Amino acid sequence: MNKIGIFYSFKSTKTAKAAEKIKEAFGPDFNIVPVNAEELTEELFLSFTNLILGVPTWFDGELPNYWDEFVPALEDLNLNGKTIAIFGLGNQVEYPENFGDAVGIMAELVQERGARLIALTSAEGYHYESSKALVDGEFCGLILDQESQPRLSKERIENWVNDLKAQFN
Amino acid sequence: MTAVPKVFSVKTTPKEILEKWYRLMTLGRAIDEKAPNYLKQAIGWSYHAPYAGHDGIQLAIGQTFEKEIDHIFLYYRDLLTALSCGMTAEEIILNGISKATDPTSGGRHMSNHFAKPAWHIHNVSSLTGNHTLHAVGVARAIKYYGEKAVSISVQGESSLSEGYVYEAINGASKEKLPVIFCIQDNGFGISVPKKDQTANRKVANNFTGFKNLLIIHCNGKDVFDSMNAMHEAKRHALETGMPVMVQANCIRIHSHSNSDRHELYRSEEERNYVQDYDPLFKFKRMLIRYERFTLEELEKIENEAKIELKEAHKLALKAPDPDPNTYLDFVLPEPYKPLKYVDGTHQETGEKKKLITGLNETLKAEFRNNPDTFMWGQDMANKDKGGIFNVSKGLQQEFGPKRVFNAPIAEDFIVGTANGMSRYSEKIRIVIEGAEFADYFWPAMEQYVDSSHDYWRSNGQFTPNVTIRLASGGYIGGGLYHSQNIEGSLTSIPGVRIVYPSFADDAAGLLRTAIRSRGLTMFMEPKALYNDPKAATVIPDDFEVPFGKARIRRDGEDLVMITYGNTTHMCLEAAERLSKEGISVEVIDLRSLIPLDKNTILNSVKRIGKVIVVHEDKVHAGFGAEITSIIMEDAFEYLDGPVKRIGSTFTPVGFHRSFERMILPNTEKIYNTAKEVVAY
Repeated sequence: MNKIGIFYSFKSTKTAKAAEKIKEAFGPDFNIVPVNAEELTEELFLSFTNLILGVPTWFDGELPNYWDEFVPALEDLNLNGKTIAIFGLGNQVEYPENFGDAVGIMAELVQERGARLIALTSAEGYHYESSKALVDGEFCGLILDQESQPRLSKERIENWVNDLKAQFN
Repeated sequence: MTAVPKVFSVKTTPKEILEKWYRLMTLGRAIDEKAPNYLKQAIGWSYHAPYAGHDGIQLAIGQTFEKEIDHIFLYYRDLLTALSCGMTAEEIILNGISKATDPTSGGRHMSNHFAKPAWHIHNVSSLTGNHTLHAVGVARAIKYYGEKAVSISVQGESSLSEGYVYEAINGASKEKLPVIFCIQDNGFGISVPKKDQTANRKVANNFTGFKNLLIIHCNGKDVFDSMNAMHEAKRHALETGMPVMVQANCIRIHSHSNSDRHELYRSEEERNYVQDYDPLFKFKRMLIRYERFTLEELEKIENEAKIELKEAHKLALKAPDPDPNTYLDFVLPEPYKPLKYVDGTHQETGEKKKLITGLNETLKAEFRNNPDTFMWGQDMANKDKGGIFNVSKGLQQEFGPKRVFNAPIAEDFIVGTANGMSRYSEKIRIVIEGAEFADYFWPAMEQYVDSSHDYWRSNGQFTPNVTIRLASGGYIGGGLYHSQNIEGSLTSIPGVRIVYPSFADDAAGLLRTAIRSRGLTMFMEPKALYNDPKAATVIPDDFEVPFGKARIRRDGEDLVMITYGNTTHMCLEAAERLSKEGISVEVIDLRSLIPLDKNTILNSVKRIGKVIVVHEDKVHAGFGAEITSIIMEDAFEYLDGPVKRIGSTFTPVGFHRSFERMILPNTEKIYNTAKEVVAY
């Protein structure tokens, strides 16, 4: 098993905590390497074949600034051969129009550049109005809502990681 | 979601453009951060609404604006927008500290209201979103004259809660006008969060049902996303002539203004969250990350901005303060001065015409005289109908639907777009039926009040050249909403001429003068007299009546009646009856309330010594109270008895004729009061 890079902002609180839970769920048999998304470079990003991206939704459906600032670089990358999974925090009660949008934005970006997106999740159990993360009836990643459904996060992470274990090369 | 082409990006935008943007953003932020110091040092800028967090969209709006071609209406948080439009740091500070050379208003308007009318950066009200109607109005002129330009209305998202903003967007959609509505959404209206404003966080999406309106969402914190959104908005508006709404998601890093403390209603976590996404720092990081600039290059620009600000500060401090003795300047512009009928009287003989005919023929004559004259209102023009009372009958047929047309049932829209359209060119003259009846004018009051102080507030740089016609008064059995007089409320507002003729010739002459004048005129029409033979007169074809010139309709020696509108005829009837009892009554028809012909009033009062003031509006706080006070102050020693007022009761006007007789003044009431006063 290749190492798996888990990219998230080390300055974040909830996203960082979710990333740690994901790492824990993988257990000791997997080489999960945390990468600070605030200090991302093209070289660092390309040094991984398997990537987990922590992409919370900011404001009314935006990427966090650290990911947004990486987008011009990302747009020029060839991601053929990369396997990518995305998770992100959203708030379906206060931002129902943009629930988990950033996950959808990032999914589209990496797929357009050749990456294989894995670990889609069921949209059941969420209550929102619209989401860019919803593609063909499924979320294109794991969306966690620590504001209104914090008790569901543990199970959602475990299920998602089980799926990841099966799908990562 | 509209796909916006990526014309601008950090990798491809030419370096000199990026440098210009960074320079503007750095300078803007430096001024924004310095502004509170002026207040702390008691120099000025007592109102400052910091823009930090809106940097991307404000830069983009200004860069999209083409001075002297496009028209733009900024709101009170638009410091960087003003700078990006081309205003200098010195001009910004001159406004902030209210100097005589402040290009917005010469120190008359609030600080943080940036304008430069010569460039079409219009002077706007503090009333949030009020200028949206003006932007639509000026776009109507852009379309009519076929100019390749856009009108840009900039405002916060909370302004979309205002009804008149809805009216404006509806109008732009219906008329297919090149307006860009730029909504800077920072999530708060002062302390009121967006959830308390509307159910939809994406407030622009409340307008998705409007036809012809393109809606673009962008990240107002991001320079490139904002630039691309504004570029696409302008391209679309120019190429299609259709309106666009751009909703830019921003953050408000600081409090609403220097009188607000956001820590009272925003958590520390939230405040830190927005601080982390400082758009200026994000732009700087990207310029360095993508190797467009070195840190040293950017620091050099920052230092140059500091020097520029320092120089601007010094120059602004040296600028003269406004001269307070000019406070009476620019209340009203000089009106058109009749040359032939200097005092507004004539000796013409011939066939008498009704008041309605006088108005209709004068409108037609003025539309022929000035091809840049326009008219709209409710029920204004539909086939053979021309106005609710047919005052404008035949105008659309002769002058076409682009100059004479119906307006939506939206009084504020009617007045607000008139204000806006007249901003396009000094040559334009606009006549509007402000409402079906004067009673329905109240929804337009915010535009009326705002328009009333445009001339003063802009230090004489702009005045709306608009005549507002209103069918007024009772005696038609119309009850509430079809019988009220509203001039008593309006005369307390400076900046508007108010006229109220009683006879056909005066109606025609005053209307001609109003249309030819600069400034705002409220033209009140006594609708009960439209077709009444007693108001019919001979009307010279070119008749003009100057403002502020009363007309003595009957000479007398024992009592003077001061009146206007419907009651002029009752006074004349009472005077005739009194004459048969040997009482000689003079009747003054004021014609103009603002300006008021004090000389004629005082001359008669001093000569006769007994006076009653008669009008149809309520006695309570009516305009008669003002006339009476003037007489008491300036001619008290000439009085031989109390000044009595006659008008309607302090009630609405009832529908049943018996109510109307009780409530409104009539000849009998005037006669009885005249007898009382004459007895002193």
